[in-house]
Amino acid sequence: MIDIKRKSRHAKKSTFALKLTPLIDMMTILLVFLLKSYSAEGQIVTVTQDLRLPESTADTRPRVTSVVAVTSEWILLDGRPISRVRRVLDSDRLLIPELSQELTRLRAISQGIGDMSNQMAGFQGNIAIQGDREITFDLLKRIMLTCGRIGYNNMLLTVLQRN
Amino acid sequence: MNIKESTRRKLRGHAGEAELNLTAVMNVFLILVPFLLITASFVHIAVLELTLPSLDRQSAAVAPPKPESVVLNVLLIRQTGFELKSPDLKFSNLGITGQGYDWQGLAGQLNRIKTKYPDSEDIIISPEDDIKYDTIIKVMDRLREAGFPNISISG
Repeated sequence: MIDIKRKSRHAKKSTFALKLTPLIDMMTILLVFLLKSYSAEGQIVTVTQDLRLPESTADTRPRVTSVVAVTSEWILLDGRPISRVRRVLDSDRLLIPELSQELTRLRAISQGIGDMSNQMAGFQGNIAIQGDREITFDLLKRIMLTCGRIGYNNMLLTVLQRN
Repeated sequence: MNIKESTRRKLRGHAGEAELNLTAVMNVFLILVPFLLITASFVHIAVLELTLPSLDRQSAAVAPPKPESVVLNVLLIRQTGFELKSPDLKFSNLGITGQGYDWQGLAGQLNRIKTKYPDSEDIIISPEDDIKYDTIIKVMDRLREAGFPNISISG
């Protein structure tokens, strides 16, 4: 299309016109794709390593809470390892003592914060559970029971959103 | 080739072609694309809310009061299939099909509850000990789709 111009210009000085159209096409597609996956809120949840969350059609946004992560080997509370899964499953008691102890401490802290100032949220009984998709209900039941016993009754099961 | 070239030249000579200056657009794109690339999040994380009946007075005050349940529906999840129970309705046990659990059968049975009790929104799921977490989440998804958003878990 710009053959003529290029030729005439070429004769005068040695510049050449770049074919920008394919580049623009590519950029437009890229831009649309990236805009689609753009989220203004950012990520407030970080997922523990070697954890494969189950997929779900749920669309509730995550909130900032303490996190109990359950991988196939460890139970972690806010990133700190609490207990080995095998040990928990071998035990006859449904309550997990180590987790219970840590949660009690956590609750005391958040209650203390709530008492100090009215602007702070304090203890609300929310806890996020990030479970690997391969864990069994037996383990989940024990964790839920332990959380519920301490007063963390609103459980937010973290899942991957399926589109 | 020569003929074509000459006709093209002639045509263009008449039309007086205007050339677009795309450099500015390219500049905008070059800025926008890296910016969006950094901020893009490809994994979207959501949460499923689950409220346990409270043992504790303080968090009970915070939790929203549950509406009175009209009917009690129970779904047992076993390794061998589903078993749905609802008052005054008889359901056959749903076994395992070639592709795993019988989701279509479950949707059909839930639909029957929905037609008999349109107001009913509560369901209790009771999985066996060795049911995978993934399966439980899938069941909860199906239940929500079928119109039972108030899901409780019983062990």
